[in-house]
Parts: sequence; structure tokens; C-alpha cells
Amino acid sequence: MRMGLHPEMPAIGALMLGFLAVGLFSPDEATLYLAALIMIWSIFALGFDLSFGLTGMLSFGHAAFFGIGAYAASWAMMSGKSSFAAALAISAGAGGGAALLFGLVSRRVSGLYFSLLTLMLSELIAIVITTRLRGLSGGVDGLAGVPRPQLADIDFINTANFYWMIFAGFGITLLFCGVLKHSPLGQALQAVRQNPVRAEQIGFDIAALRLTALGLSGGISGVAGAFLASLMMYVSPQLLSWKVSGDVVIMTLLGGSGTVAGPVIGVMLVELLREGLSALTPYWYGVLGVIFILCTIFLPQGIAGLGARLWRRR
Amino acid sequence: MSTIIIGLSIAMLLFLLSAGLTLIFGMLGIINFAHGALYMLGAYLAYQLSASTGSFWVALCVAPLLLAVTGALIERSMLRPIYDRPHEFQLLATFGLILVLEEFVRIMWGLQLRSIAPPPSLSGSVNFFDTDISKYRLFVVLFGAAMVGLLFFGIERTSLGLILRASSNNAIMAEMLGVKVSAVRTGIFALGAALAGIGGAVAGPMLPIQLQMGSTIILDCFIVVIIGGLGNIRGAVAGALLIGMTRAYGQQYAAEWIDIATYTVLVATLLLRPQGLFGVRLRTA
Repeated sequence: MRMGLHPEMPAIGALMLGFLAVGLFSPDEATLYLAALIMIWSIFALGFDLSFGLTGMLSFGHAAFFGIGAYAASWAMMSGKSSFAAALAISAGAGGGAALLFGLVSRRVSGLYFSLLTLMLSELIAIVITTRLRGLSGGVDGLAGVPRPQLADIDFINTANFYWMIFAGFGITLLFCGVLKHSPLGQALQAVRQNPVRAEQIGFDIAALRLTALGLSGGISGVAGAFLASLMMYVSPQLLSWKVSGDVVIMTLLGGSGTVAGPVIGVMLVELLREGLSALTPYWYGVLGVIFILCTIFLPQGIAGLGARLWRRR
Repeated sequence: MSTIIIGLSIAMLLFLLSAGLTLIFGMLGIINFAHGALYMLGAYLAYQLSASTGSFWVALCVAPLLLAVTGALIERSMLRPIYDRPHEFQLLATFGLILVLEEFVRIMWGLQLRSIAPPPSLSGSVNFFDTDISKYRLFVVLFGAAMVGLLFFGIERTSLGLILRASSNNAIMAEMLGVKVSAVRTGIFALGAALAGIGGAVAGPMLPIQLQMGSTIILDCFIVVIIGGLGNIRGAVAGALLIGMTRAYGQQYAAEWIDIATYTVLVATLLLRPQGLFGVRLRTA
């Protein structure tokens, strides 16, 4: 366990440099937009992996935190006229709060039942938001006209400028997750994952640790939702769909859960495959499915695991 | 009266799917996310068969057989290597399978809505206590009830059923006693897929056949399976009846609240009785 940040530093550095290079030399708006989207989903996947990869709770309801963050930020900026920074804080609070609520409700169940319970809770929230709170959420139409940040006289409507703000958010999240993983708290969370019984015997308060991890995870997911709403200038009720929860699980698993670089690599892989395959073949959707299946069978540790294995073999 | 029949017909459809889902979970330990996609494939195959041969009955008999073969192939090639992995990997693999199956359907049949004409003997409606009841829905109810009986008989009263229950209870011991557990697993997945195929063929004349039909019904099936208890077939019958009736009556009297009520019941079930509302916790059928 005494590895410090070192083993993952090269990968994290390479990722940051890559996104820096895209921001500096990107040929066109479409590439920038795609890179920004990848960074936002990476923030989401990193947040998700705090609960799944680090603490071992497979939540299938993270779409709720993501979507609630997006709606909360939009309401704050559109109805509350708050600044973007305040909206980010509100969305972190809303996402984290929802996650804590999920955690409290499901504190007695674990394993498969935890996944099912979070799935159903997030479906419940999706239905309540889109049907009962139609006045606030715009129902199935979603909320259009979510503003971009306003700071000094920088034009954030220009994606090239907004990119750097997302880049900052992405960098901070990467750093936060890296530091957290190797902090005493992170070690305790890993103990909860590896052997909850033993961790409890040593004296850790498992319930509190699980809640902490879930709260942090939900908060980060909420922030990712706020960024996405502002980037797309629109909140769609689709963000709350269980397929979004499925997407983030898949991206994290493909990249390699439990590592800091893994979730980012997974998001990149899926988004780039989507773009690349859809340009190459009309059947990209099916090809993506075949890749998922092959990766499950042959790459149980994800892409990051493969990288680490090759690294060690050298 | 007609609401009861509509509710029962939805319940029977849900049962056909949930039975496969719960059998596969009980015996293989796998949550098959692709079950809805198998059901959709069954509906499209039934559409093709009934369009080419002109007979719904041929479709109802042949589509499940094709699905059983597909299921056996899937189990051999895809699931066998990952039985010992954590649940999330099985989820990922079956999720990939959804994409593959949907792509296949899109290539073969495109995005248009399709429908199957009910056989002439079952089209129209009968008058029953002053209300008109669709003959086809009545058929679905009776057919579903027959399937329930057949499944129970097969699992609880035949020697084949005994082998299934034995391999689910204790695979190693069953293997020692000479049961080919790997063949049993292939058979179970094929049976589950065939049930999904029957579901698809039966749904054809009732519901529009489209790509999304699988993902819309699969959540309801999860609800049924959770309420009934994972791996519990008796529970699946009760759960399917409960959800089918709620859907039919809710649609008529409180359409706005029906989803919220269903999910609240579900969350409460998971919290208070995670083993399901019905029966004891046994991983047998």
C-alpha cells in the first residue's frame, strides 16, 4: 500500500498534457467540444469510482446525482440569478445531499441489493422530477437556455474559453481523487472494500465511512452535471435515465476501476469509439457492444490494468 | 371486466419474462440485463415468421426455438468464461449484448414500427357481462396460465426439474453425483431465452414491435423479480399479477401517480424484506 502517488503519476500527467495540448492546438470547435465533454464525463466517472472502485459500493443510481446537479445549477443560475461558482457549490451540495439520502436509506443493504436499491431510488427521483416537479424541471422537454459562466469580460459562450474552466475543474478533481486515495481516509475506505468485517473489528466505523464516500461521490457527480448543463446550455431529463448510470459503470469498468487514470481512460475510450466508429461504419453501435463483451472476458482489470501489467513486465 | 383482462394479460407477459430472468439468476447467479433485448428479438423473429408463412401459430412455435438456440450460443461463448467474476462484469457483458442484439435487429428490420396480425380465430372481441373483451387478450391470459402450470410442473414434479434444483442448490455436490452442471446451465439460459421468445411472439399482436420495447419492459420485470424475491418463481407469479393489475387499474384511475406508487412499494420491499414479499429465502425455483 505504500506507493504514494508515484505509480499513477505518469498516466495522470500524460492525460493532463493531452487535454492541455487539445486546448492549445485544437483545430476546430467540434474537437474542443468533444474534449470538453470527455473531461466532464471524466469528472463524473472519477466521482462514481470513489464509491465503486475505492469503497466497493456498486451504485446503479448515479444518474440521479448527476441529473440533480445539472438541474440544481440551472435553477440557481436561471431563477436564482446566482453566479456560476455559487451554482457549482449548490450542485455539489445537492448531489452530495441526494447521495447521503441514498446512503441513509440503503444503510442496511449491501452487494447486489445495494445496486438494485440505488437503481430504483434513482428511477423514483427521475419520475418525481419529470412528472411532479414539471414547473421547475420543464418536464420531458427539459430546461433550455442554461447560461454559461460570467466572469470579468471573458466570453464563455465561446467554447474555447469555457474549455479552460472545465480543464481546471477536471484537474482539481483528478488531484483530489489522487490525494484522497492515498490519504488516511482513502486507505480506510479501501479497507472497507477489501474486508468490511476486519475493518470493523479494527475499529473503523463502516457505516460512517460508506456514507462519507457516497456523499463525496455524489457531490463530485453533481458538479459534473452542472458543468454539462452549462456546456450544452440545456438540461435534458435523459440525464436522470438509468442508462446514464449504466454508461458511467461501463466506462469506469472498461478503463479500470480503483485507479485514478482508469475512469478517465474509459470515458475517453467510449467517447472516441463512439465518434470514430460512427464515422467508419453505420453499425458502430453493435461493434461497441462486441468490444464491451470482449473486454469483459479478456481484460478483467480494464485498460489501466493492462497498462500496469505491460509496465511491470518490461 | 375488460380492465381485469387487460391487467391479467400484462401480468402474463411480465411473468413469461420475469420467470426467465429469475430462473437465470437463481441457477446461474447472473442478472441478465439483455433479457429485454432477447424479448425484442423474439418479437421481431415472430413478426418475420408470421409475415413469411402467414400463420401466427408457426411464429409462436418457431420463434422460441430460434431464441433457445441463440441463448445456448450466448451462454457457451459469452457467459461461461465469466461465472466467477463479480456481478458488475456480468452486467457489462450483458449490456454489451443488448447493443449487439439491437444492432442486429436494426440491420435486419430497420426502425419502422411492425405489428403482427392476430390469427383470424382470435381477432375481434367477445361480449362478456355487457363488456367487449378482446379475444386475443383472453387467449394471452389462458396461454400464460398454462405456461405457469407447465413451468411449475416441470420444475417441481419431473426428474429434469430435480436436476435443475440440485445444480442450483449445490453445484459441486450435483457434479459429484454425476450431473453435468455446465450442460444444465446452458439449458437454463436457453430456456430463459425461449421464454423471452414466447413473450415476444405473444406480445406481437398486442403491442407495437419496436427497438425500445425491450428496455421499456425490462424495468418492470426487475420490479416483478425484486418484489417476488430474486430466484423465486412463485414470487414471480405473484409479483407479475400485482404489477400487471396495478398498471391496468392505475392507467384507468390514477395515471399520474402510478409510477411513483410502484417505485415506493419497491424501495420499501427492498428495505424491509430484501428476500421479496413472497416465500422464504431459497435459491430454488
